[in-house]
Amino acid sequence: MFYRRAGILHTRYQDERQLWPFAFDRGLVATVLAILLVAPFAFDRIYLVTYLLPWIIWSSAALGLNLLMGGAGQVHLGYGAVMGIGAYASVHLLRAGIPLELALLAGGLASAAIGSLFGAAALRVKGLYLAMATLAMQYIVDFIISHFSIISGGSQATLQVPPVRFLGVSLASDAAAYYFALLICVGIVLFMLNVRRTSFGRALAAVREKDYAAAVIGVDSFRFKLVAFFVSSFVGGMVGCVMAVSYYRAVSPDQFHLDLSIQLVAMVIVGGLGSVLGSFFGAALILFAPIVLNHAVAFGADTFGVGISADLRAHLPLMLYGAMIVGFLLWEPLGLAKIYNNARNYFMVWPLRHNR
Amino acid sequence: MEFALILELSVNGIFIGLMYALVAAGLVLIYKTSGIANLAQGALAMMGAYVVWAISAQLGAPMWLAIPLGLIVMFGAGLLTERLALRRMIGQPVIMVIMLTIGIEIMLRGVLPGIFGAAVKKLDVGIPNDPLFIGDILINRATMIGGLISLALVALSIAFFNSRLGLMMRAVSDDQMASWSVGIRVDRAVAIAWGLSATMATTAGILWGSTQGVDWSLSLLLIKALAIAILGGLDSIPGVLLAGVLIGLAESLATGLLDPLVGGGTRDVVASVIILLTLLLRPHGLFGREHIERV
Amino acid sequence: MSVTRRTLLSQAAVIALATQFRIDPAAAQEKVIRFAMPQDFTKIYTFVTAEYSQGQKDYIALVNARGGINGYRILAEVSDQGNDLPRAIEQYERAKSQGAILVDPLGTPAARALTPRALADKINLITAYSGRSDAADGTVFPYIFPLSPNYWTQIALLIDYFRTQSGGDLKGKKICFVHIDTPFGKEPLPILKRLQEKLGFELSTFPYTPPGNDQSAIWPQVRRARPDWVVFWGAGVGQTVALTEAIRNGLPLSKVSSSVWLSESDMDVVGRQQAAGVLKVEPCASGREPRLIQQILKEVVEPGKGSGAAEKVGTAYYNYGVMITSIMVEGVRQAFAKAPNGPISGEWLNAGLSSITNFEAEGLIPPTTVTPQDHQGGGKARIARWDGTKFVPATDWFTAYQDVVWDEIRTTAAEFQKSGK
Repeated sequence: MFYRRAGILHTRYQDERQLWPFAFDRGLVATVLAILLVAPFAFDRIYLVTYLLPWIIWSSAALGLNLLMGGAGQVHLGYGAVMGIGAYASVHLLRAGIPLELALLAGGLASAAIGSLFGAAALRVKGLYLAMATLAMQYIVDFIISHFSIISGGSQATLQVPPVRFLGVSLASDAAAYYFALLICVGIVLFMLNVRRTSFGRALAAVREKDYAAAVIGVDSFRFKLVAFFVSSFVGGMVGCVMAVSYYRAVSPDQFHLDLSIQLVAMVIVGGLGSVLGSFFGAALILFAPIVLNHAVAFGADTFGVGISADLRAHLPLMLYGAMIVGFLLWEPLGLAKIYNNARNYFMVWPLRHNR
Repeated sequence: MEFALILELSVNGIFIGLMYALVAAGLVLIYKTSGIANLAQGALAMMGAYVVWAISAQLGAPMWLAIPLGLIVMFGAGLLTERLALRRMIGQPVIMVIMLTIGIEIMLRGVLPGIFGAAVKKLDVGIPNDPLFIGDILINRATMIGGLISLALVALSIAFFNSRLGLMMRAVSDDQMASWSVGIRVDRAVAIAWGLSATMATTAGILWGSTQGVDWSLSLLLIKALAIAILGGLDSIPGVLLAGVLIGLAESLATGLLDPLVGGGTRDVVASVIILLTLLLRPHGLFGREHIERV
Repeated sequence: MSVTRRTLLSQAAVIALATQFRIDPAAAQEKVIRFAMPQDFTKIYTFVTAEYSQGQKDYIALVNARGGINGYRILAEVSDQGNDLPRAIEQYERAKSQGAILVDPLGTPAARALTPRALADKINLITAYSGRSDAADGTVFPYIFPLSPNYWTQIALLIDYFRTQSGGDLKGKKICFVHIDTPFGKEPLPILKRLQEKLGFELSTFPYTPPGNDQSAIWPQVRRARPDWVVFWGAGVGQTVALTEAIRNGLPLSKVSSSVWLSESDMDVVGRQQAAGVLKVEPCASGREPRLIQQILKEVVEPGKGSGAAEKVGTAYYNYGVMITSIMVEGVRQAFAKAPNGPISGEWLNAGLSSITNFEAEGLIPPTTVTPQDHQGGGKARIARWDGTKFVPATDWFTAYQDVVWDEIRTTAAEFQKSGK
């Protein structure tokens, strides 16, 4: 129906190689991008600042982590710390008067350097052991950030972000901050969509499927894992900088705790490992389910006046949120992206049931 | 730093480490039989403590009755979790199954405080708080009793693995497919592992809950337990025992010796560094079996 | 960007849902003053929030039952932010778009994240017992109101109490400070150092790792230091464990003290009788005797309009909630006194809040004066002792070393002002 396959006849190789071979997909992407572009003028400020902006930032972070988890198959439980390194590095540079363009890259590089240092140590192990090694990184970075007041910024442990300009535009307004985050996000998305079509991406896929087998066919698995750590940490550091500059506008250690790391891992997994689209779904679910459920429960309790205790009312959203994660994984273990793909495949041949 | 203090810290550290080891042993039990890390183990400890509290405080049962009842209820809860959620995930990627346990953790953290109230509950198991001095050394009664109970339980589970049922579970942990082919009911073995693990978590929850009170923060026991399980080797119960003692000792001594120098709480950092070093030197923990992969 | 129909649908769903929960028009027509309480009911602040919020809701119910202020009802939107910053920011922005003129997040991470926004939006942010201690400086933080003795004042009060109890001189005395190893736990350190220079006591500090469920390695060291006074500084689990460990180590509890974060439920966990003797800082009277609590009991709780379990009325944290809310409402009253016709806005309430003079909430709280310079409210509190059943005041309302405290407030506030530019 929507994703019409009939009548699409590729006559040139580049037609078939393009990112979205179906016209409907292309139209959809263009529409969504257009909506995102006009969002600051079309939506109420509250939706821009409290839904779209964090959604875009968290999705970018999830994409960076997805490169590592979905692309190279390596678990990382310290991604929050990686983002923290980037955020602190760039904010310190900004306060020293370095322009944002450079601070952004420097934040990414700082994260990449420290992240791959830990990676080099942690990559001797796999699976759960790797998860623990990266968790150790989270604790060590947390400790260092909060115990050196030269990093965390004095007794109140909060660093204000000074007013900044990006490419000559001041980011003081909500719309400018939003466009800045959107620009970075689009850049990351394009990178992620294309990386799997490069030799690097294919090598990562080989490592993900079986690192010994990859080694046998001549892919240096340790080197590629390390490069994956480097690239993913670089993205994480940049997103950390974006988060500080355009969302929080002040950094403090509690923004980058283990909670953030677990939140991001949850986004990647619930969304779908290795899926770009899934990162957006996952980020939306994990970020907004608690908020929406809270409003829904409050609304329900107020409207129907059910006599539930304050404790139950406060914890009901948490229960539902946990139940949603469990439910989605039981329904479709491959994540929200897979659920979407199933629907898409169904409509691709609708009203028939099979295409082969 | 005087010798007596070091001795005192060591003794208490060992007992505390044993108490953590009990949570870790539950993790290992499940990992051994089904190959997944149960990240809801801390939440199960919290649930166990809540259940025991509810039986004693809300139903009015005496503590000697409430604890066994709670253990039975939690054994059932463990079985149920496996049956309803985990069994349907057989054959799915491990990371998905782990995420599922995170989901269960979040859910439990909502359900129990939601039903029984979020305020901290008192769980009095009758361990007195009066100081107990041996010479100049203070023995912390609660941690000593907790540590000894943990030791006994972990030892019991080592013995259990030598029984007939334990042998069956060892076979399952070796190779599920092969066990199936010789007539072992793999699903039952896994279910029993979950039940036992839940009871172990409950015991840990009671021990910790009697010191710190019962509220959601009991679920934070998970992180330390995970560290101990990794250090000992995820599939080794004796390893857990040794790793628990090691971590308990290192943390306790770090608090005594390092903190004054650094001017911060180094406990978690020292544990993290130990884990990082172990993984560098012995990638599969102290006692873990090296996994031989086929290409 | 590969965003597709589902995103659109889910986004539409979010927006549709969100619009559902916007202002219900009926309430908008009425004469209401909107407060917002995005507080943490499910994560690390669970130890206080339920009781605190109950006190807030009951007090507001009392005010509204008496006809409100100048015919205006107070409408407080309570929600759960779960100590998660994006959620706190969402609830703050929502409150702002609904016209709230005061936000009380009761949580340090949330308060810190909201501080720059509140300053820019001119919304009054109440950071009682949380947030930045230097927010007491109203000239730098015009829209941030701690309205309660901050942690610097609290530690100064305790030290002064120790001084008077030791015969007016702390020279050579040993004070042990056991604290959670977070910015919050480390906050009193600069004041302690300054007072140490001034008074000449010995100071040993012992940080413990959060959340503090295991402090068995800390307290033997405290015991061996043979302190004259012990202060423990934490929240939630850390507090009960600290107290239990102090008992297990046989420290005399009459020499052990803490900040405002001790309550009856902590004592229940430790054991009411065992904990007898421990000291705390009391920013307002506890128990049911104060006249305001009696009125709440009679006019709100007895008619069955209470917002929670009746036995919680009069607990320490319940009374904190009543205390802070009564100051907020007094601010509204003052604002009406200054500008009876409004317009009701953040600025309007700000003028009211910063002209509260000698407000005592019918004996519940110490005389509190808030000025455009001093948002702490004077920094008065008292030391109370747990006698096994309730907290008994050990001193009268007093304040101490405000010069030292204000030095620190001005220094850090100046740092903040400099960095924001």
